[in-house]
Amino acid sequence: MIKVLEICYKGIRFSSLKNHFQFCIPYTFIPLYLYTLLLIISSSAEIHSQTEIEEQFNYAKKLYDEEKYFDAVTEFKRLLFFYDGDIYSYESNLLTGLSYKKGAKFSEAIQHFALAELNSKNIDEVFIARLEIIKVNILRRTTGRALALLDSLQNDSKFTGKADEINYWRGWVYIFSDDWENASLSFSAIQANHQLAVFCDSLDNDLYSAQLAKALSIIPGAGQFYTGEYVSGLISIGWNVLWGYLTINAFMEDRVFDGLMVGTLLWWRFYSGNIQNAEKFAIEKNLEKTNSALRYLQNYYQDSKP
Amino acid sequence: MRKIIPIFFLIPIFALSQSTSFDFHTPENVKKFADHLFCEGDYLRAIEQYELINQNLDNDTIEFKVMLGYSELGLYSKSNELIESCNYESVFYPDCYLLSLKNELILEKHEFEYPSIPSFDSSQWKSFGRLFAISMLYSDEPVVSKEEFFLIFEKDEQSAVSLLYDYRFEPPYKSPALAGILSAIIPGSGKMYAGEWGDGITALVVTSLFAFLAYDNFHADHTTRAWIFTGLGAFFYAGNIYGSVASAQIFNARIDFEFNNGLELFLKQQNYFLPQYDFCE
Repeated sequence: MIKVLEICYKGIRFSSLKNHFQFCIPYTFIPLYLYTLLLIISSSAEIHSQTEIEEQFNYAKKLYDEEKYFDAVTEFKRLLFFYDGDIYSYESNLLTGLSYKKGAKFSEAIQHFALAELNSKNIDEVFIARLEIIKVNILRRTTGRALALLDSLQNDSKFTGKADEINYWRGWVYIFSDDWENASLSFSAIQANHQLAVFCDSLDNDLYSAQLAKALSIIPGAGQFYTGEYVSGLISIGWNVLWGYLTINAFMEDRVFDGLMVGTLLWWRFYSGNIQNAEKFAIEKNLEKTNSALRYLQNYYQDSKP
Repeated sequence: MRKIIPIFFLIPIFALSQSTSFDFHTPENVKKFADHLFCEGDYLRAIEQYELINQNLDNDTIEFKVMLGYSELGLYSKSNELIESCNYESVFYPDCYLLSLKNELILEKHEFEYPSIPSFDSSQWKSFGRLFAISMLYSDEPVVSKEEFFLIFEKDEQSAVSLLYDYRFEPPYKSPALAGILSAIIPGSGKMYAGEWGDGITALVVTSLFAFLAYDNFHADHTTRAWIFTGLGAFFYAGNIYGSVASAQIFNARIDFEFNNGLELFLKQQNYFLPQYDFCE
């Protein structure tokens, strides 16, 4: 504790309680000391204000962590509206974008990821923000845009060390484009027996070829048999045999008009229907398989997902 | 020098007053933030913030903005519930009233009946008049003649309004019964009457062919085949009559759909004849 002792020469003498030391401040220096004191108080208030901004950020982040995304967006927006510094701008925009993404508000999410990129402080933050934009494009199936963005990342010399991550997300873009072969190739570029490369490869081999189903249907019912629709295949054979017999029989009995009418209106109708039917089955079965694969990835795949 | 020294010492005091601790949640700051959200088009959050402070500020602009926000969000009933809280003396009351008419038109789709009208300025009168007139398009019978109906609208609106008026009160409906009878007399003609010329011609050709094949096979004593073609012919004939009735009904439903869609599109383009409110300058 310091106390005033006595008037010294053109000033005031101060000493510690235990008289260990004492000093004399001239009157002329007192305003300068007061000024310094005010500056210290002022800067401490600034620190206090900074603390409140940090508290607001932490509060918004807590809401995000608790999966209260609507409220998290409100609080991040509040922070961004009142705070014009750049310490929290990147993270606040990124988390706002992620909150919007969780609520399937994809356009708003992209807008905030773009703002996060603008406020990024290093190349890693730029990369993260751009990847988030790519992931949203994957989710909303604007896969062409996602591929274009991945190409721009790949061609940018700043991201040469990120080739694996770029290939990984390119693979996901192909999955959502229903191009399992290219998806497998992209994952294989990371590692030959990458879990997703094996998965995509196996699914691609398991899919039916719609073209082959159509080609096989030249023999009525064969396309349906190829896709596993045996009853439908048998019905198709039955109709074609019936109308084929009636058509040929009519021509053999010289009833050319009958033959033409039955042949075109019935036999041809059932024959072409058989081909269309086989193609439809192949497409439907493939859709079932790909949907089941996507469901599996959504529920059981543990690594990063869009 | 003596004058400069006090200024020099006042600077930190001024800085101190500027850098006092910041409260995000004072009513003034919440209002500023809500205004920002409103201008950003984030109406739901803006309303949430306005509702936090509305009781503290007692501000009729906020009340109107909340009502407008709900309407922009498509929550028309919720928006109309707030007309009660709009103060009759407030400068925004006519706007609240017009907005409630817009909400009611979207929700109820009926002709307006209004016992009391607030004091409007000339532009609000115009909005009210056009909204009132357009609501007549939801009545079953024309309330006024087309010429009188036109008078309230601007010249550039009149062609669209004329089309909508005709669609509503003189719709080019097709009779399902007539379509069925026509197809019973000449197969396919009911479809042609309902505007489906391609289907009509196909039905005529197919039914005639099956009839001919049936006749030809009976004539040649191929009774089995003849009965197959008779069955197919009868199936196509009956199906065509049913299809013609359905086509006429679909045609009429399309007329109603086009009227409702066209009216909605027109009203959206005209912003329901409401003024453009600018709270974001």
